[in-house]
Order: sequence, then structure tokens, then C-alpha cells
Amino acid sequence: MLLNFDRLGWWKYVLLVITVLTAAFLLMPILFIAALSFGSSQWLIFPPPGWTWRWYAELLSDPQWLASAWTSFKIASIVTVLSVLLGLVTSFGLVRGKFLFRDALKALFLTPMILPVVVFAVALYAFFLRVGLGGTLIGFVLSHLVLALPFSILSIAGALEGFDKSIEDAAVLCGASPIEAKIRVTLPAISHGLFSAAVFSFLTSWDEVVVAIFMASPTLQTLPVKVWATLRQDLTPVVAAASTLLILLTVMLMTLAAIVRKVLKS
Amino acid sequence: MSESFLKIQGIRKEYGPVVAVHDVNLEVRRGEFLTFLGPSGSGKSTTLYILAGFENPTKGDILLNGKTLLSTPSHKRNIGMVFQRYTLFPHLTVGENIAFPLKVRRQSKAEIDSRVREMLRLVRLEGFEDRKPAQMSGGQQQRVALARALAYDPPVLLMDEPLSALDKKLREEIQHEIRRIHQQTEVTILYVTHDQEEALRLSDRIAVFSKGVIDQIGTGPELYANPRTRFVAEFIGDSDFISCHLLSSNNGQATISLGGKTVFDSIPVHGRPTSGSKAALMLRPERIRLGRNAGAGNGLSATVNDITFLGNNVHVTTRIAVGETLSVRLPFGHEAISGLSRGDNVHLEFDPDAAHVFC
Repeated sequence: MLLNFDRLGWWKYVLLVITVLTAAFLLMPILFIAALSFGSSQWLIFPPPGWTWRWYAELLSDPQWLASAWTSFKIASIVTVLSVLLGLVTSFGLVRGKFLFRDALKALFLTPMILPVVVFAVALYAFFLRVGLGGTLIGFVLSHLVLALPFSILSIAGALEGFDKSIEDAAVLCGASPIEAKIRVTLPAISHGLFSAAVFSFLTSWDEVVVAIFMASPTLQTLPVKVWATLRQDLTPVVAAASTLLILLTVMLMTLAAIVRKVLKS
Repeated sequence: MSESFLKIQGIRKEYGPVVAVHDVNLEVRRGEFLTFLGPSGSGKSTTLYILAGFENPTKGDILLNGKTLLSTPSHKRNIGMVFQRYTLFPHLTVGENIAFPLKVRRQSKAEIDSRVREMLRLVRLEGFEDRKPAQMSGGQQQRVALARALAYDPPVLLMDEPLSALDKKLREEIQHEIRRIHQQTEVTILYVTHDQEEALRLSDRIAVFSKGVIDQIGTGPELYANPRTRFVAEFIGDSDFISCHLLSSNNGQATISLGGKTVFDSIPVHGRPTSGSKAALMLRPERIRLGRNAGAGNGLSATVNDITFLGNNVHVTTRIAVGETLSVRLPFGHEAISGLSRGDNVHLEFDPDAAHVFC
């Protein structure tokens, strides 16, 4: 091998230091916010003078926080279902279809991943105002769906490309109609892709803030928007508590996803 | 066997400007093991896929028991198929895989269970029903695929190079299994392969495909002894071709000359013989006699170029007077070889009916 780790000599230690620093750089803000959420100081002083559960109690007894968490969950769930369904049919078209500009079409479907989110948010905002979808649940779902769909298409199309179509053909010759063969054979075989698509779609919507700020109304706001708005009004440790819970949920979801994916793939 | 069971009539398949299958006509008897043999791109797999219903022919018809198959979608054709690649359903066990076509047909659980057991016995995989495909070897997977394809008693079983992913030893083992299962079930099998040995070992009849048409159809010995085209002669068995001139032909038999000197007559001729034109004389290495002195039959003098020991056979490459090479294969220990060495002058002889002329 060109680059053998064991033969790097003292470079090994340089690499080790760089790796540790990178990991610290990524983890520190998260650990910092978690520490602050348990700090007794009203003013987010670090290191905290004492420890308390008070901000969590306040968070969980505030109907506004609970309402925005529920809104986030509702939107993310609907987005997940729609994104997986649309991603599935789109992937079938992109992977199995034989038509002109197929690759161009695939690239088009992935543009929301690279397009600056704020540009997209402004465009949607202007459009939704005009058609009366601004500040509505449908508006939220549609805009998050656009952001989530590329992840869905990538996961499902990837799984479908790795699935030998002969297996589906075999099911058809066994007497299953083309639809039945897809439901009973192809879908279980690409279930790891479907699951990844669901997790990515949920998380895309769950922690999306830019588009959500444009979409939000006083009566309908998602958790990240609530965090952002609260931060602007007063700097309370409740925000740190909310953020910590958000992170915790994300980590739990990702861990679960990793385990399930491993089980599904084997 | 009075009326033909499966009839392929004038099948043609075009993909845009590319013609994959030109004009395939074939009659298959009930219970027959018929192999489509040919190189890749000869149209054999496309023909099989048209039978399965995955492709629609541009022209032509397929009749099963006198009724067209083309208007029936794949899943209602009731045809069995074993694919080149492993196609067991990965999330189902071996037993569930074999049960799949029966479940789709809404059979009762008791019926399904006994049929699955019967099929596992047929392919000699009893006790494997709870395994997942990933836990089985390639050969075992193809046997399960065979059991699944036969579970619903299809009138026709299609096999598309099912053994090409296996190594040689395993391949021969499963060839025996397939032969036994064919005899036991009496199912009609259409088998695609590019391996002549496999075709000869398995088939009742072989259809040799070349460039989208069937060049010749017949039993293995027929194709070997009486190839009608140069392609078939090359594809079945070993052969050497020597350029010659056609002097005259009559009743399918030709008189030819080699290098303007040596003249042979009464040799079977194929193609469109025109007197005076160039042709090719085909000889099989194992049907040439080698000796030190000229004998009574058709003879050629030659010089030994090389001697190769191949176990049970010895392969002698010679250069004949006109400058072309001709191979002779003799059994090991044959008296003609003892003391033979490179550069020796020898005499080659063949019977007229062991040679063919292609125009």
C-alpha cells in the first residue's frame, strides 16, 4: 500500500493529534450546550456554578414548547411517509427506466441538496404567500418534502441498483403479478434502503431551521424555530435544555437506524 | 407426440437498428431436453426471454399446445425458469422460496407443505428448508431455484446458463442432477448454454444458434457427424479447415483438389457448390489416421511439426504439402506414435465420409 500507517513513523502521532483535535472541535459545542442545560445559572455562565434539573422541568411544563415539539414531530412524520413513497416510485423510474436525459433528471432531483437553502426558502416563501400556503402545515410539509426527497432517492435508488432484477423476474415467472412481485420480493430486499430513506427524511425535517423560519407563523412553529425565536428574545437555559433533548433524540434515532440497518442487510 | 408441443414460428426481435434474433423456427416435443447452443450475441438468450415473456418479439408467434403464448403475460404463462444469476428471494428461507409460487396460487397450507418436502427430496436438499439463501453454496442455491421452478409443475422449464457461475467440478455434478431430474419429472426443458460439452452431455437435441438464426438442429452425434455449416462444424467438436478447390459436385458429394494436385472425391458438400470455386475441407483430428507409408484411402503427405502429450491423447500437429497445418489426435500408446519425432515425414489418411466440404 502507498500509505502504510505502521510505517509512518512519528507522523503517526501528528495524525493522532489532528484526529483528536478534529473530534474535539466537532463534539465540544454539543458537550458545552449539554453542560449548560444542567447549570444553575440563569445567565448561561460556564463553568456552571451548580447543577439543576430546573430548566428541563420548565421546558416540559411549557405548553408552547410542547406544542412546537408536537408540530415538528407531526411535520417530520408526514414528510417521512411522503418522502419514502415518492422516493420509491422515483427511484424505480430512475433505476429501471430507459429514457433520454435520465441522468440529467436524476441530477435535477438532487439539486435541493446543493442549492443554498436560503435561496430555496425565499423562493418558496414568495410562492406560498401568493397561493396562501404560508404558515400552514401543508406549506411546511411540502417545503420539507423537497429537502428530504433527495436523501430518500439516493438511499432507495442505491438499494435498488444493488438488487438484481432477475430476482423480481423470477417472482413474476413464479406467478406473481409485477406489482405483487415488487411488494413481496423487491421491497423486502431493499428494506434497508427504505429504512435509511425514512430516517434521513425524518431528520431532515426534524432539525431544519432555515425554511422553517420563513414558513412559521405565530401559531405554527417547529422546535428549531422555537429555539431560535427564544434565543433572540431572552437567553434562557431552557433553550440549552431543548437543544440537548433535540440532540439526544437525534443520536438515539441514528443509533437505532444503524442497528436496524445492520439487521435488515444481513 | 403426434402434434408438436411447443412451436416457435418465425420469431424476430429488433432493438432499434440491431437485430438480435433474425428468424427462429423450432418445434419442441413434449418431454424433450433441447439446448440452445451458441456464442454470446447469437440470439439464444433473447429467444428464451421471449418464451418467458420478458421480451416481445417484433415478428412471429409461439404456440404451446396449439395456442399462442404471446397474449399471456409472464406471470400467467405458468412457465418455470432457472436464471444465470442466483435469484432466490434473499429474505425468505429455502422452504419459503419453494412455497412462493404455490402461495401465489393460493394453495392450502397442507398442499404447500407436502409439495415443498417433495421438491426438496427431488433436488436432494432435505433438511435445508430453514436455511437462508445466503447460507448456501452457489450449487445448492441453483438446486433450490430448480425446485422452486418445478414446484408448480410447469409444462416447460427454461434454463438460462444456470451453471455458468459454478466451477467445473460442481458444474458436472449438477449436470448429472439436472439429467436425473429431467428423467424423473419428464418436464420439457429448454436450456441455454455456450458450452458445447454441457450441451452434449445434457440434451436430447441441440439447436446451434449463430447470428440470430438456428444453423442446425439435431442430436449431438448428428451435429458432430453431419454438420451442415462451417459454424456448426467449428462449434461442435474440434476441426481443421484446409482451403481447396471444388472441381465438381453431384448429389451433395464433391470432388475437390488441394493445391491443384491431390484430388479427393465423394466428399459430402454443404452450402452452394459452384464448380471451380474455392471451398474449405473440414477434417476432425480424431478421424485422421497417421502412418509412415501411404495406404489405400484418401491420403496426404505431411511433416510432423509438433507432438503434444495430453494425458489419454497425443496431439500431433503436421504441416501438409500445400503449407497448411492439420492436427491429428491419437490415443496414448498408439503404435504410430512410437519413435515419432519432429520433422518426420508421415502419411495422413481419412475416409471420405469423415470429411466435409463447405462452400
